Amino acid sequence: MGQYLPIFVLLVLAVLFGAGSFVASKLLAPRLPTSAKLGPYECGIEPSREPPRRFSVRFYLVAMIFIVFDVEVMFLFPFSTVVDEVGLFGLVAVLIFSVALFESFLYLLGNGALEWGPVVRKVIPGAVAPSRTAATTVRRVGTEGRGRVPAMARAADDGGAAA
Amino acid sequence: MSAPFAGSLLVGQTGDPLLFSVDAVAVGIVILKVLVIFALLLVATMFMVWFERKLISDMQNRIGPNLAGPFGILQTLADGIKFFFKEDVIPDKSQRKVFILAPYLAFVPAFLLFAVVPFGGDFNGGNDGMVTIFGRDTYLQLADPPIGVLFILAMSSLAVYGAMLAGWSSGSKYPLLGSVRASAQMVSYEAALGLSAAAVVLVTGTLSTHSMVTSQAGDGPWGVLPNWGILLTLGVPFVIFVIAGTAELNRPPFDLVEAEQELVGGFHTEYSSIRFALFFLAEFMNTITMSAIFVTLFLGGPSGPAFFGPGWMWGVIWFLAKVFIFLFMFVWFRATLPRMRYDQLMDLGWKVLIPLALGWFLVLASLEVADARQWNRWVVGAIAAVVLVGGAALLRKSVRSGAALRAEEVLD
Repeated sequence: MGQYLPIFVLLVLAVLFGAGSFVASKLLAPRLPTSAKLGPYECGIEPSREPPRRFSVRFYLVAMIFIVFDVEVMFLFPFSTVVDEVGLFGLVAVLIFSVALFESFLYLLGNGALEWGPVVRKVIPGAVAPSRTAATTVRRVGTEGRGRVPAMARAADDGGAAA
Repeated sequence: MSAPFAGSLLVGQTGDPLLFSVDAVAVGIVILKVLVIFALLLVATMFMVWFERKLISDMQNRIGPNLAGPFGILQTLADGIKFFFKEDVIPDKSQRKVFILAPYLAFVPAFLLFAVVPFGGDFNGGNDGMVTIFGRDTYLQLADPPIGVLFILAMSSLAVYGAMLAGWSSGSKYPLLGSVRASAQMVSYEAALGLSAAAVVLVTGTLSTHSMVTSQAGDGPWGVLPNWGILLTLGVPFVIFVIAGTAELNRPPFDLVEAEQELVGGFHTEYSSIRFALFFLAEFMNTITMSAIFVTLFLGGPSGPAFFGPGWMWGVIWFLAKVFIFLFMFVWFRATLPRMRYDQLMDLGWKVLIPLALGWFLVLASLEVADARQWNRWVVGAIAAVVLVGGAALLRKSVRSGAALRAEEVLD
């Protein structure tokens, strides 16, 4: 284990360096806490929502698929150091393992496990939704919290009268 | 000592001869070496920050730091000292213990990573990069454990914890988002990093970084080219490793972790004073170390011709020259390339780099076995190329069907 001695010495030195920096900072820096400083950073306004506790499931999927590949890498390292000794037998074994892994990877990809982009909306050519009228196409989004927009209210009233 | 190659783990002691039997003198030399490396790393990091700022200024037609010292070279020192005098804020909502621990997890691996990098020594004519300090033979490298490359990968994985715990423990929105992005990005590119490093292990037949440099020091293809990993692995793993390494460092164009427009400062938004300084230090130190690892794995490390004077000095000169190329490259990337989108980043990592690195590794392994069995290299290569293209076609098909699942048809 002698070969790890310098790494251990460096580890001790690095930790001491960090601890020393913190001590120096404690001695030198001012300490004037206010509630605004101690609150979470939110670009200058009071945070209105808690930080999210739930995340897109894709992050977890990535972590799981990563483990599969990490295991693969862990098998390939010992194989590559002794490739001359294990020869053709070893190569065939690694090929079988890799093909099995690649095939399951393809299955994952084919099921969209690693699709990150936004949902692609393809417009069917020539077809128009029956719900599409003058009242629905104007300001379809973003009216929430804006109150009743006069132009829209008139359009809705006209539409109601016609019906 | 004969060069330790394949299977040497079983054959007897390998590694730095200084540490075969540890006595007081050896420990003294180790402490001296550690202190020198430690100081040099800090100075190099200072220089790197200045170099990046100055070079980017030049590329953007600005002047950059020019007041502190000649050419502003002391600017980083001034900034560093200033950090000590700044108020250290620990937010109320943070998980205190983890919040304090996270900077350590970021910068300690950054220091340790450099321990296995050979940075000098004369590799010509069977010298094996040996130097003599106080009558003891040793390498110009802190430690040469038999698992060198695995150590590199392990330390770069540990750095993920620093980013992840820092963001999670801050109790704030943007750091949390930044750290989740960081973890997903870093684990994604780690697989590509490992697979392309395995290709170098395959052609050099060793995991020890020193033996890797020794085996790259000899004559290469056709007796004219150097025997470097980049040529022996036919180039592709080098490109993958550089891209994956850039992503692992969270440097542009893969710096989504701290995309200012979206996430303020990323996972270290809530950090101030010296705690922030340590993250900053770790980031730039990792940039230097990663460049040194590129050089060790693919460009023959400190090996190169020696002309006059002591041979080990030429090792250091070659090493610095090679590392400098990559430092320049990183800064150039930052000045030139726009940031990628997150889905593009993930697609590049998972659907291009990882399958390509795996396929290329298998091709190289087949060629290695073909050479050992004296089969025709070209025939094996042609078969491998066909299989590779077939695999790529299958990959393309499944990516398409995956994308089709997410598309939805709408009426206008």
